[in-house]
Amino acid sequence: MAAADTPSAVLRHHDLCSRGIRLARKMRSDVTDLLDIYVERQGLDASISVAAVDGVPTAAVERWAEQTGTQRLLDNLAAYRAFHALLAQMLEEQRELLGDTDAELGPALAAMLLQVSAFIYHLEELLEMESRGSPAEEGSEPPAPPRLSLFEQKLRGLRVLRELAQWAVRSVRDLRQLAKHGPGTGTAPGLPESQ
Amino acid sequence: LTSFLEDGVCSYLKLPFGEQKKNVDESKPPLPFSASYFMFNKLSAWSRDRKVQSKLLTPADRSSRVLFQFISSYQPKYLLNPLCLFCDVLSRCFKTKEERVEIPVPESSTTVKITTYSISGTTFATRHFEIHKKDISFVPLAPHILSLTPDFSTSTLTLKWSDNGSAFPYGLDASWEIEVLRKETMEDVTRETYNSKLIHEDIIHSWNWKSDMPLECTSHYVKIRRYINITQFDGPKDWSDWSPVEVVPGKDTEPNGSGLFPQDTVVAVGSNVTFCCVHKEGQQIQRMSYGAKDYPLIRLSSRSSAIRVLNANASSASGTNIVCTMSEDWMDGAVLFVGYGPDVPKGLSCETSNFVIIKCTWKPGRATGLYKVRGTKYSLTESISGKNVSCEVNEMKKKHVCGFPVLADQKTYSFILGASNPIGQTEASLLVDLNQRVNPETPEKLTASGNSSTSVHLRWFINGSFAEIRLLCEIEISSGRSEQKVHNVSMPGGKFSNYTVQLNALHPYTKYQFRVRCSAADHFWRWSDWSGTLEYTTLEAPPTRGPDIWRERSPSGKSLRIFWKPLSLSEANGKIVSHEVSCYLLEESLEYKEVMEPSNSTEIKLGRNDCVISVVAKNHAGSSPPSRITSVELPSDNVKTDRAVAMGNGIYISWNSFPNMTCGYIVKWCHSSGSEPCSVDWQKFPSNTTDAVIKSALFRPGVRYNFSLYGCKSSGYQLLKNVTGYMKELPPKRAPNFTVEETSSDSILVKWEDMSIEDCQGFLEGYRLSFAKGEKDALKPRLLESGNPELKVKNITDLTKKSLKILDLQGKTSYQLDLQAYTAGGLSPPNSLYVVTKEDCKLNIPIN
Repeated sequence: MAAADTPSAVLRHHDLCSRGIRLARKMRSDVTDLLDIYVERQGLDASISVAAVDGVPTAAVERWAEQTGTQRLLDNLAAYRAFHALLAQMLEEQRELLGDTDAELGPALAAMLLQVSAFIYHLEELLEMESRGSPAEEGSEPPAPPRLSLFEQKLRGLRVLRELAQWAVRSVRDLRQLAKHGPGTGTAPGLPESQ
Repeated sequence: LTSFLEDGVCSYLKLPFGEQKKNVDESKPPLPFSASYFMFNKLSAWSRDRKVQSKLLTPADRSSRVLFQFISSYQPKYLLNPLCLFCDVLSRCFKTKEERVEIPVPESSTTVKITTYSISGTTFATRHFEIHKKDISFVPLAPHILSLTPDFSTSTLTLKWSDNGSAFPYGLDASWEIEVLRKETMEDVTRETYNSKLIHEDIIHSWNWKSDMPLECTSHYVKIRRYINITQFDGPKDWSDWSPVEVVPGKDTEPNGSGLFPQDTVVAVGSNVTFCCVHKEGQQIQRMSYGAKDYPLIRLSSRSSAIRVLNANASSASGTNIVCTMSEDWMDGAVLFVGYGPDVPKGLSCETSNFVIIKCTWKPGRATGLYKVRGTKYSLTESISGKNVSCEVNEMKKKHVCGFPVLADQKTYSFILGASNPIGQTEASLLVDLNQRVNPETPEKLTASGNSSTSVHLRWFINGSFAEIRLLCEIEISSGRSEQKVHNVSMPGGKFSNYTVQLNALHPYTKYQFRVRCSAADHFWRWSDWSGTLEYTTLEAPPTRGPDIWRERSPSGKSLRIFWKPLSLSEANGKIVSHEVSCYLLEESLEYKEVMEPSNSTEIKLGRNDCVISVVAKNHAGSSPPSRITSVELPSDNVKTDRAVAMGNGIYISWNSFPNMTCGYIVKWCHSSGSEPCSVDWQKFPSNTTDAVIKSALFRPGVRYNFSLYGCKSSGYQLLKNVTGYMKELPPKRAPNFTVEETSSDSILVKWEDMSIEDCQGFLEGYRLSFAKGEKDALKPRLLESGNPELKVKNITDLTKKSLKILDLQGKTSYQLDLQAYTAGGLSPPNSLYVVTKEDCKLNIPIN
């Protein structure tokens, strides 16, 4: 019997999934508030349509229901690692733009960065449970992104936060699927989760 | 008109057409052409020497030539070569196939003959023209643009051209007209005149023009022409032709050029700003907005449109967004920051705290509304040394600070504080003599040492180099014993040094608090902050005097108890550890005792003897002078007891003067509290005193105190009188117990007991017996308190009387009797009885 199948492992897996769902829900709630602050501080129109931006993970995926647990976790991990880098960059740009003049947006971004870090750690733990280590982060620094104008930076930030909100929803669903099927179920479930 | 170029010199002279006409011989048929004259001169041959300039007009100067141009009325087919033969007054002839010819500049006036030939060589026509020098116009050749450079970030065009000044005499005024055009249709934008002086050298001139529209929005064109005020020339002067046009192409001319311009710029509040949106072929702009408002589009070209924002308001910290929304969900945007130029720094002040760094402070004035990279940058320049530093300031703070290093051998500093941001720059200046702007660092490491009870060495450190000035330091001295004092001391400054000072006239065994601050002594500017407070207790010294003492014989007379009062802090000079008590009889010590603190009395077995008692207080530093008292108590006769007068906060005692009491009076009393033996207290008065208010924190209202007045003689002490009194009399605690001794049908006899002194709480002055008809009934109000008109009161002031018979009562009637005692402090609570008088001599039983 694999370690992942022991009753204690099942319990722990379930517990990790439950806590992950709570984290993702909290993240979803906070990122919604953050979006309001962001749009207001950057003087943007909340209804503005922003095209996809290179490097911002998209939550929408084809054949979501057919994904294996491990695949879900790996997708989530890759996405949140990307969000971590993007939020850090946003925080830096926000400091460059507003400095100490804004007492709300900067702290809210920093708090979101922390939540994403915590969620990444959580995903890594779940991957350990799946008897599969977390893939290492890219060792070398990614090439510096092209210098964006301030307006482009503002739009990219908006896109990042909107996609993060989408990902938080997707993560809740992914973790529900994972909790339903237990640890070590690397195969795809037969039926999609009813929404 | 025409022009031509030779040896790089571009100029020509033009003769006004109207002037020529009158020179034509009117008697002859009109010539088939009109003409104008041009002079070409090789101006490079000129010099600044006026004599040489005059050569221009001499016929010997072969470099001066005139271009003669005419217009033939014949058809061109007839004007084939050689067409015309020009002959001047010297019969020099020039053939030309064109309608122009170049001839030498005439000296003053000259007549030329023009003969037109047919192709076959026969003369067609001949005409004579008279040319006057004043009729020849000076028309410079069109200038040539060297470069037209755009700066897209500032929307500025820079035009450069050469003035070809080397071809002209020194000092001529030149004017340049520059025209800027815009859009494919080349609409005029501006025409400006630029003036210069020709200095007989080829100078490259530069002219900048800031466009109100970003240069990317559409193509911009520039051309230039010139006018030279050649004073030596008699004829009219005219503008040159325009130079060929130079162009800076807009983004809309690039195949894939697009974007919103300008990008991320900063302008002043109230500015008018033009934004344009350049897009690709086939796209359509749906709208352009600035902030939350859409603006009407101004079409620049098929691929470029603009909006114009007038009187821009201050933007938020993140700037104002400009968005260009196009078809197919495409958008472009930019951010504009609208703010103010930096205000002149307010209240610039510079000082040094250590002669290492000069700290300059100022207030930034009106907020610019621009932050971080667009925020105000400050730099501090010192004009005398030429040094300058850039200042890192926290833009959110109301007061800014910048440090400048102190320079060796420089005392006067002329500071210019420059403030700049993308909108503008200002400055404030300040001239300071550094020696007059010293605000020393806070003294630190304050320590104290000393081996005396009245002095101390204070030592502190100041982190600064003050070797070239004197310091004035203020030492604040505080103690619980005296008022706060300040001690000023001036001392030479040192280089990162310790400073010491000795303070004298301190009190022994006293806890002091010291703190120090310093300033420049010669030119006071500001005090430093206070150092931390140092607590220091001076050493002990022997007590300054012996204790106040008294003695009392025991009732048996065999022993003597000696009492002493504690010394005050200022007298004790330290911690009293013991008292030495000795008993001498004619220099012979009968008894010696050392009584340790905290005892304040001791007993000596003396029997019936007498002696002189000496008491010395001792602390760690030594002994006090001895206090002495004799044990002798002189006999007293007929000692009276008087009453003292209560004073509220003390007890007033008076006595007659006793002339033989040579060494004063002593009032002695005793405090008793509960079961403790009473503690003796006393107060001494000089011989001339006959009264005193005795005060003690231990006195309580309603408590009787007994005082004994002793007189002091050289032979001993004599009891003069006793006094009892209260500091305040109170009403008695309770009424005396009383009983009904007998009743009859019309009388009641009541009797009461004595009251204790403690219950009286004052001197008893009498009793009050009240009575009225009334029955014992708790539900009814007490009759004696309700203003009963039948109430009768007996006041008994004879304190020896202990009974009273109430007469004239009704038989078989219930009476209520209340008895109260009273002092000067008031009435006691009553004691009540109910009695029913007898009927026909029958016995009534008291109810109570």
